[in-house]
Amino acid sequence: MRSILGVTAFLLAVFVAVPWLIAVSGRWDFYYTLTSVALLSIASAGVWLTFYIGRINIGQGAYALAGGYVSAVLITKAGFGFWLTLPLAGLFCAGLSVLIGLPILRLRGVYFAMVTLVLTEVMRLTALALPVTNGAKGITSIPLPGELSVFGLVLIPDFASLENPKLAFYLMAVTLMVLCYGALYRIVHSRLGHLCRSLQQNEELAASIGVNTAWLRILAYSISSFFGGIAGASFVAISQSVYPSSFQVADSVNFMLNCFLGGLGFVFGPMLGTLVLYFGWDLLFTTGRYQLLIYSSLLIVLMLVLPNGVLSLLDRKGVRR
Amino acid sequence: MNRRTVIRSAALATVIGLSAASFASAENPVLKIGFVGVTSGPAAAWGISNQRSMETRAAWINETGGVRIGDTTYDVEIVAFDDQKDPKRAIAGMEKMAQEGIHYVVGPNVDDGAAAVRPVAEQQGIIYFPYAFPKSLYQAPASNAVLGMVANYQSGPAIYKYLMENNGVKKVAFVAANESDPLSQRDGGIEAAQALGLEVVSGSVTYQVDTTDFTPVILPVIQARPDLLVLSGVSPANAPQLIRSARELGYEGLISTETAQDAGVLQEGAGELANGFISVGGASTPELASDMMREFVARYTTMFGEYNDESNTKVYALEYILETLKANPAAIGDVEAFKTTMDSFEAPNPYMVGDAKLSYVGATSFGQKRQVSVPLVVNEFRDGAFQTLFVAQVD
Amino acid sequence: MEQILANGLYLGAQYALIALGLTLIFSLMNVLNFAHGQMYVLGGFVTYTVVGQFGLPFIVGLVASALILALVGAGVEKFLFRPVIARSKRDESTMLLAAGIAFFLDAVILLVFGEKQRGVPKIVGGVLNWDFRIIMPYDRILIGVLAIAMIAGFILFMQYSRAGRAMRALAQDRIAAQLMGVDVERYSMLGFALGAMLAGLVGGLLVTITGINLGMGGPTSIKAFMMIMIGGAGVISGAIAGGFILGMMESVGLTLLAAYGDITYLVIFASLMIFLAIRPQGLMGKPWG
Repeated sequence: MRSILGVTAFLLAVFVAVPWLIAVSGRWDFYYTLTSVALLSIASAGVWLTFYIGRINIGQGAYALAGGYVSAVLITKAGFGFWLTLPLAGLFCAGLSVLIGLPILRLRGVYFAMVTLVLTEVMRLTALALPVTNGAKGITSIPLPGELSVFGLVLIPDFASLENPKLAFYLMAVTLMVLCYGALYRIVHSRLGHLCRSLQQNEELAASIGVNTAWLRILAYSISSFFGGIAGASFVAISQSVYPSSFQVADSVNFMLNCFLGGLGFVFGPMLGTLVLYFGWDLLFTTGRYQLLIYSSLLIVLMLVLPNGVLSLLDRKGVRR
Repeated sequence: MNRRTVIRSAALATVIGLSAASFASAENPVLKIGFVGVTSGPAAAWGISNQRSMETRAAWINETGGVRIGDTTYDVEIVAFDDQKDPKRAIAGMEKMAQEGIHYVVGPNVDDGAAAVRPVAEQQGIIYFPYAFPKSLYQAPASNAVLGMVANYQSGPAIYKYLMENNGVKKVAFVAANESDPLSQRDGGIEAAQALGLEVVSGSVTYQVDTTDFTPVILPVIQARPDLLVLSGVSPANAPQLIRSARELGYEGLISTETAQDAGVLQEGAGELANGFISVGGASTPELASDMMREFVARYTTMFGEYNDESNTKVYALEYILETLKANPAAIGDVEAFKTTMDSFEAPNPYMVGDAKLSYVGATSFGQKRQVSVPLVVNEFRDGAFQTLFVAQVD
Repeated sequence: MEQILANGLYLGAQYALIALGLTLIFSLMNVLNFAHGQMYVLGGFVTYTVVGQFGLPFIVGLVASALILALVGAGVEKFLFRPVIARSKRDESTMLLAAGIAFFLDAVILLVFGEKQRGVPKIVGGVLNWDFRIIMPYDRILIGVLAIAMIAGFILFMQYSRAGRAMRALAQDRIAAQLMGVDVERYSMLGFALGAMLAGLVGGLLVTITGINLGMGGPTSIKAFMMIMIGGAGVISGAIAGGFILGMMESVGLTLLAAYGDITYLVIFASLMIFLAIRPQGLMGKPWG
């Protein structure tokens, strides 16, 4: 009962309260900021899932970049509509992650972390080198998402015809976020989630009682990469362009930090972490040259006070996760 | 769940409250000009020299009573946003500018950022002055971007031609960092060199921007024995190291680049090895600088402790914005009026001696006037300072 | 060919020295120090200030870099990492702290030393030219030799001094070392200070050759991660091997693949990933880090 109330309150907040607050306050720029938060938190959710099987993933930027390119190439070269490329980008990344994951998921601890860190750079260099990505020149002037209709029934209008595409992008991003976190929540509270947790605690033990650890790792990693691909493709739709530097090592690191900041023990940790980290930077914009100094100091202080993430506040008060 | 929502809405409310707090009002009405660029991280030097030029000029204008546009005298305020060289942040920066009611923005500094902000700028009615060279930004149907400097495909041919005629250069080699901007500039450079009939003996060597030792990078290039080594889109941080490595390996030919450099950095990083290095700059060489340019340099130095020669080219964008607004006060809130004025705008160039003019150019390269006319001053580094090699104009 | 090897050795020596500090910190505290590159940059700027601004001899600058960075390292361990490690549930949480410190140092460096590339004049002039087979400026040779000497000194220190032995014991088994009467807190702090000091020393050494700018921090950290990954995380000999291997790979790769240009680094990174997939614990690391 409580959780239904919570979900309802959350949905009301993001779909009704936020647009209303923005309309009242006139802070239209928050649409983009919150859209970014929603999309980045989807990618972070993927990273969180790899944390859940005990792997530190600093390579989500690679899949976001790949997803972005898949969408951009399909739209500009094959004439696909954006809405079709969105799931395709996710699936492509999931498939790619199986190929990459098969060898590297055998690594653990810092080795996995560092190999994924290199992966982001590899993806950037691949994007620079491949002909289909248009190399250094990137892909620009990508059209806005078009109409999506089923049997003549218009589900999503053409973004180019809208008066306020910002709102449309916001709603799209938030919807995606809700879906992804819903899926994540389901996964974590299913049998699969319990198995993942057993991996996090002791892989050998899990294997010895008959858990197919290799399969489980690949599955979790590909779901994670699927999220990354979707987030990347959505960003490309907003900026209408993609470059090899659209997602970089810094992004990969940020995705990981989002998870830490929110709290690794909580499904909604990465969402909160993204909100705090991204929004925090944005808000400090008025402090000018001291922006980075204040931002990093706050980060350190936060870490000193709450080393287990912001949501660990809930722990103390005995609220279940 | 509930608690999180509460926290989230509370945070949001605080945010809105904070940002709605009004700024202290000055005596004159304030004209806000934006800057979206990179002022932290590896490429900080680009954006910082940019932002500081603008802040120096704004402080100077305000000190002398403000700028008169139409019937109103304004104080100029620079609103700067650090995009961390991330195109996603650059969009956020542009949105911020729109929120602040700004219609004229300088930046972003790199290709991906400039391409990413285009949808926002066109939708929100913002004219922006990127320091990025892709032609698609300035060609129709794009219409809100104005190139803030001389592009490499304009300066490159001029430099190569000059060196062919005066130094007998026949063979040329290119080196570039493996990032979008330098690689695009390298490709443009190779194209231009071949069009001029030069032989490109090495054009595929690239390096990571974080390279700490350029000797292995430069070695195969030198072995190709070029007469001219072009450092395409080289960042001021890498230039002295590349020059030093090439010279120490015994390279004796010419070295040039099409980007702006800083004499102090070259002197510290390569010393006399950098003598003869050719780069593109603004108008601060003694032969060309007007009194106003000298005062600008002096004010910049007082304000920030140290001048940056890259600012020679970056001083112009703000000047263009203000002068164009003076020419057509209606443009202050209407970028379409600004665009109309661009076609015919002309004003004296205060930073250069002689009768140089400020005007918009680019018809040849872009099919429409979407570039500020900055004098193409080609410099040669000699003993810690730049000397003018030759001056050309872009049309 | 000789030239390529010489370049690789020189690169390898500086890389190994960077990797040593990182791997020391990792082995003692299981902390992946994201701020390592920033500490290197800070060291470079300290030497620059002492030598380039105050005009003091190079060796003074180097000592200043070492001392200041050792202090920074000790402070960071005592006041930041120690309390966080004591209270966090998962070791990895320190990554966020390390990243925060990296951002913080970046901000401080930008505010204090500015955004420009900095360098000091050559400390020795002249170029060694052995029949055009090896061309190597003398200052590069000097720095390379200094770097190798420092690596040797560090190994001797770890091998034979009391503190070195204590730290090795700590790295092997923290709890056992504690039971045997090793003052864990003291040596963790010492180890962190030593690791930071090494980073600062490399910065100081290289400022005479490559110069320094605030952007070099993050990429340097990543390179150092790669080196300790090749050699095996937390193993001193592994870090040295990793440094030299990466140096050689870059030197050889850049020459062999020069014609293919854009893909040189792609090949280097991709082969690194393949190597790790085959040998997950690096050359000499403990399995599973």
